[in-house]
Amino acid sequence: MTTPHFPCFHCGAEIPAGVLVEERAGGATLNFCCHGCHGAYLVISGAGLDDFYRRREWRETGLSPKAFQGKYQDSYLARFVYTAGAGSAIDIIIDGIRCASCVWLNEKIIGRIAGVLEARVNYATGRARVIFDGSRTSPAQIFSRIDELGYLPRPYTRNAAKEVALKEQKDLLFRFGTAVFLSMQLMAYAFALYAGFFQGIDQQMKNYLQLFSLLVTTPVVFYCGWPFLRGAWRGIVNGSPNMELLVATGALSSYGYSVYATFAGGEVYFETAAMIVTLILVGRLLENAAKRRASGGIERLMELCSGEAQRFKGEELEPVDPSLLRRGDLILVAPGERFPVDGAIAEGATDVDESAATGEPLPLFKKVGDQVIAGSCNLTGAVRVRCEREAEESFIARVARLVEQAQSRRAPIQRLADRVSAYFVPAVFTLAIATFCWHYSRGGEFGLSLMTSLAVVVIACPCALGLATPTAILAGTGAAASAGVIFKGGDILERLSRVTVAVFDKTGTLTCGAPMLVDVQPAYGFSRREVLSWAAAVERGSLHPIAKAVRDYAQANGIAYPVGEELVTLAGGGVTGRVAGEAVAVGSVCFLRRTGAGGVPDRVESPEGGIVVGVAHRGRYCGCLVLKDRIREDAPGLVSYFKREGIGTLLFSGDRQECSEKAAAAAGMDRAWGELSPAEKAAKVERLREDGSTVLMVGDGINDAPALSAADVGCAVAGGTDIAMETSDLVLAKPDLERLAQAHRMARRTMAVVRQNLAWAFLYNVVGVPLAMTGRLTPVYAAAAMALSSICVVGNSLRLMRRRNG
Amino acid sequence: MVSSLIALMGLSLFLGCGCWLFFLWAVQRGEFHDMERPKHRMLEEDERETPKK
Repeated sequence: MTTPHFPCFHCGAEIPAGVLVEERAGGATLNFCCHGCHGAYLVISGAGLDDFYRRREWRETGLSPKAFQGKYQDSYLARFVYTAGAGSAIDIIIDGIRCASCVWLNEKIIGRIAGVLEARVNYATGRARVIFDGSRTSPAQIFSRIDELGYLPRPYTRNAAKEVALKEQKDLLFRFGTAVFLSMQLMAYAFALYAGFFQGIDQQMKNYLQLFSLLVTTPVVFYCGWPFLRGAWRGIVNGSPNMELLVATGALSSYGYSVYATFAGGEVYFETAAMIVTLILVGRLLENAAKRRASGGIERLMELCSGEAQRFKGEELEPVDPSLLRRGDLILVAPGERFPVDGAIAEGATDVDESAATGEPLPLFKKVGDQVIAGSCNLTGAVRVRCEREAEESFIARVARLVEQAQSRRAPIQRLADRVSAYFVPAVFTLAIATFCWHYSRGGEFGLSLMTSLAVVVIACPCALGLATPTAILAGTGAAASAGVIFKGGDILERLSRVTVAVFDKTGTLTCGAPMLVDVQPAYGFSRREVLSWAAAVERGSLHPIAKAVRDYAQANGIAYPVGEELVTLAGGGVTGRVAGEAVAVGSVCFLRRTGAGGVPDRVESPEGGIVVGVAHRGRYCGCLVLKDRIREDAPGLVSYFKREGIGTLLFSGDRQECSEKAAAAAGMDRAWGELSPAEKAAKVERLREDGSTVLMVGDGINDAPALSAADVGCAVAGGTDIAMETSDLVLAKPDLERLAQAHRMARRTMAVVRQNLAWAFLYNVVGVPLAMTGRLTPVYAAAAMALSSICVVGNSLRLMRRRNG
Repeated sequence: MVSSLIALMGLSLFLGCGCWLFFLWAVQRGEFHDMERPKHRMLEEDERETPKK
């Protein structure tokens, strides 16, 4: 190996031979892989920010710096600038922010540009808001500064749907904040009134305190509590008593009674009404935060590819919104930009970073005719792309919809909770009325009896019950999504946790789907090394899986191969070229014969399931290479995991019975069936289900689609076909079977948390309601206990997000 | 006695309103958009930075 084994000081990539750039700093020599990285280092170091190298943590190589320079023009950026206070402001999406130190670095560097008044980078969204003095600096300057760092700035365009979501969040915060501040005031008055109740209080003072209480409680109930009041009203109109109705009744009845008591004389319970509203708003905020966290990543990706697209109009370019692109449109995608839609490359070739969409860490080389995915980043060359799907139908948009669906689809256990509360609400009201009647008929004071029955309503409020399942499912699917497993619904988690049989497809699922070189058989008079180096030399430029296998094998065995020239790929046959001036042909035996090579044997012994590729040198057959599909490295691990969990493992394949059995044995699976058509696979899955098994089907191709939808849980492996992904219930975003074991563990843990939550919520009601009925609990304690129970439930659910790999 | 208490209550309400308006202003300004960043910010020290004059 000639490559030195030390990484670039700036980007961390291995330095290829011959391009080393050195810099002496403080007695040490720093190595860089290119002048770009060296330049970026000088910018960072020159600004006194060497700390960056100590705090950063990354392993990926990004775009080459300066890929974008000259692209930022003030004339273009001017329309994104708006005035903010004393200066101008611009919102910038910074592509490439991955960790807190990226945020730190960007803030510092932008902040030090002369004329920049304030720079704030939002860690969650990767957006920066920069406020600057328009007479001293310009947006273009800010943009190119960010670009110099190796990040990719893009102007942020607002979009109506997001603005609405943002407004809703703001609205909720307003209501919550108002409720908290007013309740704090209210508590002071309430304490004075409590003290007065025990120690005596001047009647006039009491009246004033009560009036003040009324003054601060009214907005809490009617402004802050408006969402519940509206929800409760809808519940009454639709004839379906819901949880909001309970909340509204609790708040309104204590408020109404207190207003009456204020003017008629007596004790007031305004704080009960205010507390109910405030605590429930807290629950809402928590729920929203969990939801946002779960969908944050995908939203960011959507944002990244929602910039402007350059469409060809004849030979001219016109900027258009990606949503206006139609099938067949031709667009130009410059290096550094993200593809706005799914399409195929029509002209040019480039490296593409698809990590955002597929999790594949290495850039892929794409040439004319290759597919590109919306949201992936064009790294090296400008390409023309023919749009194949409209923006809202792109891969990313569909995944985003899947995530949305997953969040709105309710698990059966969740529907159960809703059904229970339909009986629950009338039951609670009956109990409350019974409590009131009982206390009042036993000679209890009217107000006190009413309060006792209110306490019953408040304590029975099944908030914890309502939160139990959705929060756990949300946290579970969110954590799974960040680990690369996309559940298409909460019910899938539940079913996956009960799976008893796992069925695998063979090609592409259990095996790599791409052949591996397993043997080199040189003809008499040639060495293995010779044959392999010739083959690798002419296969150098080809993207064909066989070519890749040959190169990989040569590299893994440390066989250096020369550079082939005049390489010609002949479709369906093989490759010809020259190595050190000598003609070399690589391809099928028929192909070699067609090129006129001598000494080609009539038939080459091929081991079962193998592909044989012949090699000819100077017109003479000199040996062959044997390639075979191989079991994925992580397959045996997954199979043994399932075995430990008591789940049966089966293999259904369209391949020959013998091959299927071999593959199953290699992975350690229970049984294998071969020669199955897609319909037979589905039928077999059906039969398993009829026998009482809960079936998990794992597949990747169109031939698995019927079986995937027939199974209780269908799991598609990314890299497979769209159809497989659409008919499946859960998608592995990366072809890595380990994740399936992780998903299964996640599902089990989520269901365990759901059961804990439900048990807690029921237990709480069982204990709380009788206590409240006997009048041991005043409404305010009931409200506090209720909040405590909700917090327990939400906190328990959030545990799922923490222990990611547990 | 009563009137001074009323005055104090009015004052507390007034101060509370101040806090409340401050909060509304902060929400409006988008201070609560990013709950992640501030907790990293406090750990950052500019060790090498020479104080600007």
